[in-house]
Amino acid sequence: MSDEIKPDELLDKIDYGPRSGSGPESESDNWMDTTASVQIRPGMYCYAAKAESVETLSLPNARPWNPLEDDWKLPDNWQEILHQGIKERLEKFRTFKVFMDICVRCGACADKCHFFLGTGDPKNMPVLRAELLRSVYRNDFTTAGKILQKIPGGQKLNGARPLTLDVLKEWWYYFFQCTECRRCSVFCPYGIDTAEITIMGRELLNLIGLNIDWIATPVSNCFQTGNHLGIQPHAFKDMLDFFVEDIEDVTGVDCTPQINKKGADILFITPSGDVFADPGTYTCEGYMILFKYLKDKYGLDVTWSTYASEGGNFGFFTSHETMKRLNAKMYAEAKRLGVKWIMGGECGHMWRVINQYMDTMNGPADFLEEPVNPITGTKFENAKSTKMVHITEFTADLIKHGKLELDKSRNGNRIMTFHDSCNPARGMGLLDEPRYIIENCCDEFYEMPPNTIRELTFCCGSGAGLNAGENIELRMAGGLPRANAVKYVHEKFGVNTLGTICAIDRAALPTLCEYWVPEVEVYGIHELVGNALIMPGEKKRTEDLRFEPLPGVEAEEEEDE
Amino acid sequence: MDLKQILKKNKAPFVKEWFRATIDTYPSQSAKILGKDVNRFDNPVGAATRETIEEVFNLILEDFNQEMLEKALDPVIRIRAVQAFSASEAVSFVFALKVIGENILDDSLIREFDKIVDKIALASFNKLMKCKEEIFLLKATESKRRIHRAFERAGLVAELTEEDLLGSKKS
Repeated sequence: MSDEIKPDELLDKIDYGPRSGSGPESESDNWMDTTASVQIRPGMYCYAAKAESVETLSLPNARPWNPLEDDWKLPDNWQEILHQGIKERLEKFRTFKVFMDICVRCGACADKCHFFLGTGDPKNMPVLRAELLRSVYRNDFTTAGKILQKIPGGQKLNGARPLTLDVLKEWWYYFFQCTECRRCSVFCPYGIDTAEITIMGRELLNLIGLNIDWIATPVSNCFQTGNHLGIQPHAFKDMLDFFVEDIEDVTGVDCTPQINKKGADILFITPSGDVFADPGTYTCEGYMILFKYLKDKYGLDVTWSTYASEGGNFGFFTSHETMKRLNAKMYAEAKRLGVKWIMGGECGHMWRVINQYMDTMNGPADFLEEPVNPITGTKFENAKSTKMVHITEFTADLIKHGKLELDKSRNGNRIMTFHDSCNPARGMGLLDEPRYIIENCCDEFYEMPPNTIRELTFCCGSGAGLNAGENIELRMAGGLPRANAVKYVHEKFGVNTLGTICAIDRAALPTLCEYWVPEVEVYGIHELVGNALIMPGEKKRTEDLRFEPLPGVEAEEEEDE
Repeated sequence: MDLKQILKKNKAPFVKEWFRATIDTYPSQSAKILGKDVNRFDNPVGAATRETIEEVFNLILEDFNQEMLEKALDPVIRIRAVQAFSASEAVSFVFALKVIGENILDDSLIREFDKIVDKIALASFNKLMKCKEEIFLLKATESKRRIHRAFERAGLVAELTEEDLLGSKKS
């Protein structure tokens, strides 16, 4: 964009209306003019937070409200609250202050956002999404802003604007059109993390009760009952018992897990989506098969918890304080059960919270041991401080040391590609372990183009609390760059399976694929492990975990006949 | 020369101008970026638009029917169906062809050309409706498939099965 828009143009000349269109939109020649752009469109926004969900956590301004109505039922002094909120955060978070000041608007990020590329809405360029907040910062918190306010045309010159109701509505609309995936930050020469600007934006919006329900209700459920879906402990156990039956049907082996076992070596925590939502449930069965195998072969002692029954943390999409409150149960449960360290399941944002916040937020977890794989002796150096290991690192380590017997042919009908989930890829550098597992569980694996994977991965378009039903058009548009790359490997190599290590991906990508590339199914990595792992005492397997015939089985049966 | 021969001869300016007119239905700052001819994975909307327009144009040079047109239009309409366009805006890019035709073709051929454009427009409306119906169906069934089915398998809920509720439509 740097060769296209000069800084003064960015401030002055962005035309929100279609170039070829007519009508009031195209008359606007200034991006800061909100009259044309704040058109909250069904299909693009998520429903407002329910009052009772906001009340659960005693967060401010719980009341029913509707984004489509003019009156958002804000407190009279909402501007003062936000002004004070920005001030406090500028003092508290060095990154926020720096990110407000240092952007030179080079435009390197402009065309890197999946929401911009998919929706074609200029305010989804990361630079402009951040400008929504920066323009108010410049007006209210910089010396230049205060001086220029007094000069005619000065505000415009400075790219500054006062915090009006229209500006607020625009914040709400666009900060909930960002999945905090951080792809733009990879391209920023100054290292500005636009996700952190969205995080701040949402935290500020929460000060006056402007959350969305797909975040607020899971947060309330998690705080009150222990997981996002609000499933009570007995139902959590019922689901695991049910998986035990299904696994036994497929393998002939009883994989009953240990639950809430005091003195176990390892506490296992996974997103509740793995327990309650297809197709994550099959990934969950994969974990159970793995743990049973390791228990029988090597005596590994893993426990699940009905208290820490949620790995995900939608508090992260609400405010730092809410994230901290929801995250606290991980260490608390590890302490109560007296385990040595914690293992975590396949999830996305859960790992950003664990890897980047948990230690300083709720640690130090000095009552836990530095994680060592008891079977291989491998020290997980990167988890030395958090004491929490990602299950794909653990499994990859076992495979590397020849500790797992895997029959790849059982996944022989899976022609794989791998979607790097944003947070594990960009937030913790977990890139090769899942690939290594796939390559050891499947024969055919094809990468998507290099500019769409690893650190440059495109988001699923539904992360950061945006995987609701009512905003499906936004999700389909935001997921287009990802689906476009999946479609390419589907057409070129016949890829029929998209592997992923994130619960939101497992929930969101099947719908995305159904719209853009319907022949591709979505699998968790440990579902593949569960299919391939040869368990001691297992029966001859004829079906995979989805009760589909294993490759070659139908043909064999026909021959028998 | 008949119309198709003239269209064939003028393919390059037609395709170029039609692409530009289509990209210009986006806000101007976006159009600058989406109009760039870069790696197709860095600009999926631009790439799909470019390819579709060329494909549709190639199609009208031959014998074609509505079904073939709908298939060729799919990538662009599928995208525009989920963007911030009204139904008329989503298919408006087809009518840009009439203006381009007026500039390039003799008056004697305009009427015949307009008939082709009308066929493309009708195929676009059909495709748009089909995409919108797909979206509504996905919206209606997604949460049920995701959560209800897992519970159903576990025997934690007992009511009509997913298949009953979806009727004959394969989920």
